[in-house]
Amino acid sequence: MTARRSVLIVGESLAGITAARHLRTLGHTGPLTIIGAEEHGAYSRPPLSKAVLKDPAADDTLGLALDGIDAEVVRSPAVTADTRRRTVTTADGRQTGYDALIVATGADARRLAAPRQRGELVLRTLDDARLLRARLANASSAIVIGAGFLGMEVASACAARGIPVTVVDADQPLERILGGCLADAITARAAAYGIRFVQATGFATLTGDPVGGVALPDGTELTADLVVTCAGELPCVSWLAGTGLADRLGVGIDHACATTAPGVFAAGDVTYLRGDGTRPDRRAPFWSNAVAQGRTAAASALGLPAPGPPNDDYFWTEIAGLAVKVVGPLPLIGEPTSVQGSVTDGRALLTWSHADGTSTVVAYGLRKPVAALRALAATSSPPSP
Amino acid sequence: MKISVDHPRCEGHGLCADQAPDIFSLDDDAELTYHFEGAEVPDEHQLAARAAVNACPVAALRVLS
Repeated sequence: MTARRSVLIVGESLAGITAARHLRTLGHTGPLTIIGAEEHGAYSRPPLSKAVLKDPAADDTLGLALDGIDAEVVRSPAVTADTRRRTVTTADGRQTGYDALIVATGADARRLAAPRQRGELVLRTLDDARLLRARLANASSAIVIGAGFLGMEVASACAARGIPVTVVDADQPLERILGGCLADAITARAAAYGIRFVQATGFATLTGDPVGGVALPDGTELTADLVVTCAGELPCVSWLAGTGLADRLGVGIDHACATTAPGVFAAGDVTYLRGDGTRPDRRAPFWSNAVAQGRTAAASALGLPAPGPPNDDYFWTEIAGLAVKVVGPLPLIGEPTSVQGSVTDGRALLTWSHADGTSTVVAYGLRKPVAALRALAATSSPPSP
Repeated sequence: MKISVDHPRCEGHGLCADQAPDIFSLDDDAELTYHFEGAEVPDEHQLAARAAVNACPVAALRVLS
């Protein structure tokens, strides 16, 4: 059915590898090429802010194996794409044609340093994590800019090593994601763990060259041995310039992971789900979405029906020794219903009901498998009117 | 093909069981059971098993050839 169709995947990412594997699972026997920019090949990123910051032995356990996929791998970054002639050119000068293209180039860390200002630390790649770990070994103070999942995980790694750490953000830790109720509890827990929080009234700027501090909008300057920027990510789309496929949010996809160009699909952190009349455009750069979209993009590239929705909406974090797992849409507004335990005790199962009839479930300090959380989210949604 | 499971590293997310429900399962406390511990993964489950290994977000699963 799909025998000689050639599929090109750009991005040796979780989404890219998942798509490659799923293409073969679906019976694609034609040519398959993967273009990857990372010299280490594909690897798992969630441990970078957790196990890898603690222990160098974790470095060698992260590889996402390509075994059994039978793909040609090009280790050179894509630099241009021509969606009319259906070709992608890599930095080594090579041009690869395709019948179907899957864009899975992921995202880079957002940086705050001024042009030519040196020494900004971020955490996105294995090399970033190794550098940060080496710097943690000699640091006696740290500042983290950004109080999202990543920033709080990095701050937790500092505190676990006994390094005094200050987190700076305009909103309370995780408030934009988890809402005020859980943000209050997490901020208090983080403080008890040795993580100080400073709420800035606007944009912070990095000071020093190399970077050694941060200036807050009120004129205060904080300094530390380590300054780590955890201010979100930017989709890797520069190689798509001129194709019309990408904008500020990344590559827009529909529920089949199709883009606006024929034969071009996209998956993972490079994407956003295009809105419709009722929902806005939405980026959701989470692990389980990269898996779901990799599978969907593979099916679509072969002209097969999508195996499921392109978003799984499951994410988790570990802050100050506390695991938080979330299934369902964000943000979380208002008070939750407690199914079990209490936030005060550090162990709770909570649900939020949304106006559109969906629910979000949070396991706070409780070990629960995603399937149980999904089942609870499905049953706690009120029936549609 | 064999798979090794790093049980201390497993955080009980359960994404492996999404990909390969015939070879991984989790109880309500998110304790993982691997149904072919120490044994060869049967041929018919190998594609799913490899997808499960990739889907583990804490890299607790590895394929041993």
